[in-house]
Amino acid sequence: MRFIAPLAALAVATSLLSACSIFREPEAPARPPPPTRAPVPAPPSAAQPQPGGTPPTAQPVVPEPPQRAPQKQFKLSPATAALVSQARTQARSGNYEPAAGTLERALRIEPENPLLWIELGQVRLSEGNAGQADSMGRKALAQATGDPQAQASAWRLIADSLRALNRNQEAAEADRKAGSLSPR
Amino acid sequence: MARARSKFRKIFWLSALLVVLVAVVAAGMYVLYLDRLVVKQFEGRRWTLPAQVYAAPLELYVGLPLTVSDLEHELQRLQYRRVDRLEHPGTYHLQGMRIDIALRPARFADETRPASILSVGASDRGIEALRDSDGKDVAIARLEPLLIGSIFPIHGEDRIVVTPQDVPPMLPAALTTVEDRKFYTHHGVDPTAIMRALWENVRAGQIEQGGSTLTQQLVKSYFLDPRRTLTRKIREAIMAVSLDSHFSKADLMNAYINEIFLGQDGDRAIHGFGLASQFYFGKPLSELDLHEIALLVAVVRGPSYYDPRRHPDRVRQRRDLILKLMAERGIVKPDEALAAARKPLGVTTRASGAYYPAYLDFVRRTLRRDYHDQDLTEAGLRIYTSLEPRAQDNAERALERELARLDKAKKYPNDHLEGAVVVTSPQSGDVIAIVGSRNVGYDGFNRALDARRAMGSLVKPFIYLTAIETGRYNAATVVQDAPVAIRLANGTVWKPENFTRQTYGPIPVVHALAESLNLATVGVGMDVGLPKITETLGRFGLERPPAQVPAMLLGAIDVTPLEVAQLYNGLANGGFRTPLRAVRAVISADGKPLKAFPLEVHQVAAPEAVYQVDRMMEEVMEKGTGRAAHAVLPPNIVVAGKSGTSSDYHDDWFAGFSGSHLAVVWVGYDRNLSTGLTGSSGALPVWSRLMASLGTTSWDAPMPESLVETWIDYWTGQRVEKGCSADAVPIVVPVGTELPVKPGCSSNPVQSIVERAGEWMRDLMH
Repeated sequence: MRFIAPLAALAVATSLLSACSIFREPEAPARPPPPTRAPVPAPPSAAQPQPGGTPPTAQPVVPEPPQRAPQKQFKLSPATAALVSQARTQARSGNYEPAAGTLERALRIEPENPLLWIELGQVRLSEGNAGQADSMGRKALAQATGDPQAQASAWRLIADSLRALNRNQEAAEADRKAGSLSPR
Repeated sequence: MARARSKFRKIFWLSALLVVLVAVVAAGMYVLYLDRLVVKQFEGRRWTLPAQVYAAPLELYVGLPLTVSDLEHELQRLQYRRVDRLEHPGTYHLQGMRIDIALRPARFADETRPASILSVGASDRGIEALRDSDGKDVAIARLEPLLIGSIFPIHGEDRIVVTPQDVPPMLPAALTTVEDRKFYTHHGVDPTAIMRALWENVRAGQIEQGGSTLTQQLVKSYFLDPRRTLTRKIREAIMAVSLDSHFSKADLMNAYINEIFLGQDGDRAIHGFGLASQFYFGKPLSELDLHEIALLVAVVRGPSYYDPRRHPDRVRQRRDLILKLMAERGIVKPDEALAAARKPLGVTTRASGAYYPAYLDFVRRTLRRDYHDQDLTEAGLRIYTSLEPRAQDNAERALERELARLDKAKKYPNDHLEGAVVVTSPQSGDVIAIVGSRNVGYDGFNRALDARRAMGSLVKPFIYLTAIETGRYNAATVVQDAPVAIRLANGTVWKPENFTRQTYGPIPVVHALAESLNLATVGVGMDVGLPKITETLGRFGLERPPAQVPAMLLGAIDVTPLEVAQLYNGLANGGFRTPLRAVRAVISADGKPLKAFPLEVHQVAAPEAVYQVDRMMEEVMEKGTGRAAHAVLPPNIVVAGKSGTSSDYHDDWFAGFSGSHLAVVWVGYDRNLSTGLTGSSGALPVWSRLMASLGTTSWDAPMPESLVETWIDYWTGQRVEKGCSADAVPIVVPVGTELPVKPGCSSNPVQSIVERAGEWMRDLMH
């Protein structure tokens, strides 16, 4: 008998709290109403505004100023710079395969450096492999976030590759992007 | 009568003469035939060289995180010897934080480098200075690639062919002393030696001493014939005389050094002193010291009887006898012989020998697409691969140790857990290590390439990737983890369950992936559609499309560990597929590049979509099924991954990546029994131990500019402030994505009491 009272109190509290947890949001006048749950498959998304109006509490996520990647500038280390200059010498005399091999050595050291991907893409373009040159440009672009110079170089490589593939309209668009990032 | 008798006599003599003539001609022709045969064999053998396979050379440059002791370890792997003063190539001098290396001459895929001196200064952080012998800065230098094996023919003869310049002069001297004293003066056979041998044999009552010259031994080796008959002996003698008349003693000595049988390694017969030197000592023949040369000469007499690894005492006795003989004959000074006899055998243990059968298997398969077997086994090709011996050794050790630990609690007394590991460098697509079995040195069933097993939850990242690509999902999207019943084409109803057999209700996508919730994933997968997911898997490199059944969403897709590595490599590489490759280049015997396997990239998914998935896979490691890894990994390292367990625990997978490495681990039974383990308890420990040993870098891909990082509640998907509670997790979503904000969870640390009580209740419920 002695523990019935606490048990009852606990039961009341439990039902109260679980009611809250079902809604995941207790009634509180000062606060906005609970978010509505979108059943699968109708998730909230910026791309597709919710029918029937956006939930009152939904806020678009926008980057705060410090969250933007700070401007940076990719550089070559002494080791990769030496390999790049060796590769350029090889490519100048038409030895594209050895040049590409040398650049692969550099890429194993700094795979995240977009400048090396651009360099390799240019060798591929010179030997007539515009498809791979385009891919290397896009790989470089994905790595070049925060470095407008490198992004512009990547777009220029993409533009040149697309032109070689006779995709002139896309090439012009790529050139435009390069120009807007860094005037030549 | 007299006439008749004389006629008869005449006929007799004539026919006798004829018979003799015929016999002489026949014998002459037989000799000529043997002559042709042996000459052809001799000429042919000069060019029959198995392809030699090399690991990736270690590149040294300022900034490389390699300490002095790491570097010393790498030099020892190449059997460089530590000395007080630099002598010949293949030695190094260590003083404090500086190592001076006398580099050996080396042939790389792209250049030949002469022997040279390199000075390396290093600190605890890595290499800080590289200089040549003139003290000039060197931007980049590489150690020679480790020879990891050769591709020898089916009958198993493996060899490394050496030229006379590679042969230390002591070796021919020792050989002639012990095996054939009159080698330089006899004509292929040595009658006095035969007489002596006969006498010895008669005295001993059995055949003990051969009396064969080196030339006869060479012939014997050319025409493997174990019978010890007189005709064969005569044949050999004729051929030896024939060879001796055609070729110089120097040519014959060189052929002998490259031909003779010196050991057996499973299916592989070790022929020639070049390979024997690598096989027993792990270094080139030219660097052998007196005691090592004497040991190899001791082995010649009976590679099985005098096996230095199995019978060290027996071979030591013979080695010391040979040293004594050499001193007696004045080839070495008595004190040199004595000093050499005091040295240990110096034979490497098998474990440290660079023999990686699973990796070589992959190399062979790659090359068979372009080359005939004969090109590989006879043409003397040099094959340069991406194998990184350090990563390979670590992968082998991680699998061996963890499986031994897991086996202690094993369910089946007669079955051992098996496993496979594949390690790649994601951006280059280099396969740097393959382990095909826990018996790492055993050239058998290669599970990394041939074990096709259900991929289980490893498929989930591709389902969520496909979902994000539709534009209708992101990491915060709330999905239902609720009972699912799907009527199949055959009329049955498929009712999958969660691993815990519970349901979790509405849950954000990041949570569903991190905790590998089956029901939520099936819901998303059915919404997105099987064809789209199949298409995604195809883009990332899955070659056989899976059966279009809903069970595919829970990984009813049979794949090999290597295929998983290809699929996950695209995730680790930001949505770029790079064909995985083991072979970088093939070079002909005369140094011409024959074939390159260049780096290729193909964009198969938008970097934005892949980045969102990768960040969710980071949460797998932070909060989800991979979180146990962080106890083993270096502090603060960022990795992303996914566990996988096929139904009834048959297969335990873990696949994950850092900035510089991707590793896939499979653990299971060959007989496809239930392991009772999950990807998290079976494969993850192997993965974590391996990753921790690789000196790997954090996963740190740049976030695409169209995405933004935010924090949500792990249970509701509502936006919260970072640090609002322990359940706040970081995710990335497209800029401008509208997310509901969790009420009361602002930067204000004071939460309402009711809210905290609600959380407490929720914790109780889960």
